[in-house]
Amino acid sequence: MRTYSRGVAWAMVSPWVIAFALFGLYPFAFSFVASLTDYSPLRGTAHFVGVSNYARALNDPAFWNALANTGLFVVGTIPFTTGLALLLALAVQPAFRGRTLFRVGFFMPSVVSVVVLALVFKGLYAPNGSLNALLRAVHLPAPSWLLNPDTALPAIMAMDVWSASGYYMIIFLAGLEAIPGELYEAAKLEGAGPRDVLLHITLPLLKPTLLFVLVVNTVRSLQIFTEVFVMTHGGPLHRTSTVVFALYEEAFTRFNLGYASAIAYLLFAISLVIAWLQMKVIGKPGGMHE
Amino acid sequence: MNTTPQRARNTVVQKAGWAIAGIALLALPLLLGACAPKRSAQEIVLWQFWPTEVVRPILDAYEKEHPGVTVRMEQLTWQNGLEKITAAIASGNVPDVCELGSTWMPRMLDAGALTDWTQGTADLRDGLRGWDLCSTGGHYYGLPWMLGTRALFYNRTLFARAGLDSTRGPATWAELKDAATAIQKLGGGVHGYGVQAGERYILFKKFMPFAWGNGGGILSDDNKTAVFDSPQNREALEYYLSLRSVGMMDHQDALDREFKEGRLGLEISGAWLLKSIPKDAAGLRYGVALVPSPEASRGTHASFAGGEVLVSFKAAKHPEQALDLARYLVRAENALALAKVAKSVQPATVGADTASYYREHPDEQVMVRQFETAFPTPNHPAWVEMEAAIEDEVEQALLDKKSAAQAVGDAQKKLTELAAKK
Repeated sequence: MRTYSRGVAWAMVSPWVIAFALFGLYPFAFSFVASLTDYSPLRGTAHFVGVSNYARALNDPAFWNALANTGLFVVGTIPFTTGLALLLALAVQPAFRGRTLFRVGFFMPSVVSVVVLALVFKGLYAPNGSLNALLRAVHLPAPSWLLNPDTALPAIMAMDVWSASGYYMIIFLAGLEAIPGELYEAAKLEGAGPRDVLLHITLPLLKPTLLFVLVVNTVRSLQIFTEVFVMTHGGPLHRTSTVVFALYEEAFTRFNLGYASAIAYLLFAISLVIAWLQMKVIGKPGGMHE
Repeated sequence: MNTTPQRARNTVVQKAGWAIAGIALLALPLLLGACAPKRSAQEIVLWQFWPTEVVRPILDAYEKEHPGVTVRMEQLTWQNGLEKITAAIASGNVPDVCELGSTWMPRMLDAGALTDWTQGTADLRDGLRGWDLCSTGGHYYGLPWMLGTRALFYNRTLFARAGLDSTRGPATWAELKDAATAIQKLGGGVHGYGVQAGERYILFKKFMPFAWGNGGGILSDDNKTAVFDSPQNREALEYYLSLRSVGMMDHQDALDREFKEGRLGLEISGAWLLKSIPKDAAGLRYGVALVPSPEASRGTHASFAGGEVLVSFKAAKHPEQALDLARYLVRAENALALAKVAKSVQPATVGADTASYYREHPDEQVMVRQFETAFPTPNHPAWVEMEAAIEDEVEQALLDKKSAAQAVGDAQKKLTELAAKK
């Protein structure tokens, strides 16, 4: 077999490595340094302030409010997104007429820009929007979804579950396809029912996929921003202000780039801890066959 | 398994690989550089927010007037323009002339990144309005280009249906309330007044006209003390809150949509409606009026004064040509040419409302006149936070979490803290 040296390998991957270093590693390191300063891009000055930006965040009620909202968002969406994605995957895995149509249909929201989805849902949730028209038609109360402090965040969460499930469905499908068919045949021969097959073959063998979906979805949900930016701008009464939205406001309306960077690093630390816990609790990431 | 010739070949391949990687690394900046258009010595760079086809003809005329000078124009968007400008300032790679929204000016003035144009613009002082938007401490750091304000839009059809005089808009608070009440009574999904629900950067512009008109204010003239907790502001907020019972509450885009669909009687909105109504709701019979004053004999028809100013940065490469281009753009005929197409803003030119175009377009003329009694926001470095503080408190009152007096008092506390920060 022909082998290639390291040099060629590096040459091949160099465009990616260079781009990653420039647009990934450099900003990553830069924002860490910035988080230790009072850097203001407009003034162009930066003074070393130690960890005071981190201390400020931990004493800032706005940060804790954003963190609480983000936590609520994560806890309130992940079980539903994961459950729905798994159900959809199980539903569209077996061969049946029109299977592709359903797969494409469920996946479609993931292809559409979040901004577009957010604008559509903003119209849907409007006091005189389609959702309320439907509710009124069946004589149900029709609240102002995005204007009411109690319903704004759940409304955004519902949209997220709807739009993200299709994407994770595809990942679950890949996991399902990778489960060897002979296991199912063996189970059938042993006389196992559909429930047994699901509980003792499908779900245990999907564990690595489940872990992957949970970790990726948690990291993504912790970074929820676009929906908030488009639909509510953090309101009403800051009830939809999330960590990334708060850091965006600090960075680009108040120009406190140092403080915003510190918030970003705090979120990074939180994401790391949660991902580590998920791996610890659910199991080590491994191959498809444990 | 590595045989000797294979190892030798591998070494050669390895070396070649490193060479390719090295060349790729070295060539990258060159490639990136080659992608960027080259600048000639006479090229002035302008960053602005209007559609290219609107601004380009004006710039073409400038180039004709100034042989050898070319203007490279980049169109920014309101969504990410400020981020791009901030990045440009941070990197020192700034345009020569840049259009800035007036609400960004306090930060820019505080940062000290703008060129002082006090000297080069003295002769324009009497010919333009809106200098408050770009000046501080007696120094001028920009040229007012386009002005924007908010006025009262009313639906004539709904006025007639409710038995009101549809030939003119309400002029006082009482008239406004009465009109909204009568229209609200029509029912069938029709609402009287469009109350702005909490929305950052917008609620402020919908509530403060009532406060300013009632003689209220935000900061003292020297920007050092908060003066928000006043009987005038309390009364204005109470009045604003009372409009909820004779209208609907929603975000600006939803209120505009309701207005265009003929289901909203009155709302305070901007001149962008003048552009979008003919497109989205050609048959709508509507009028534009000054924001009502508290009483016929008391208060003013106040509104929010905003707009766009042209500035240059200290790091600009062609400071003299930058000022020359800015002076050219604010000329009456050029500003009018842009305003005619844009419609959402009006020229900063003094007396623009008497231009034949505005005489023929009375609704747009109202916007120009509204600016005469409009209030600019204070050029305080913490203005963004101050605006947010006022909006947060007004929103609390709108959602019945606080009384008007409490909200105004709490806003005062926050403003006092912010004013002291500087």
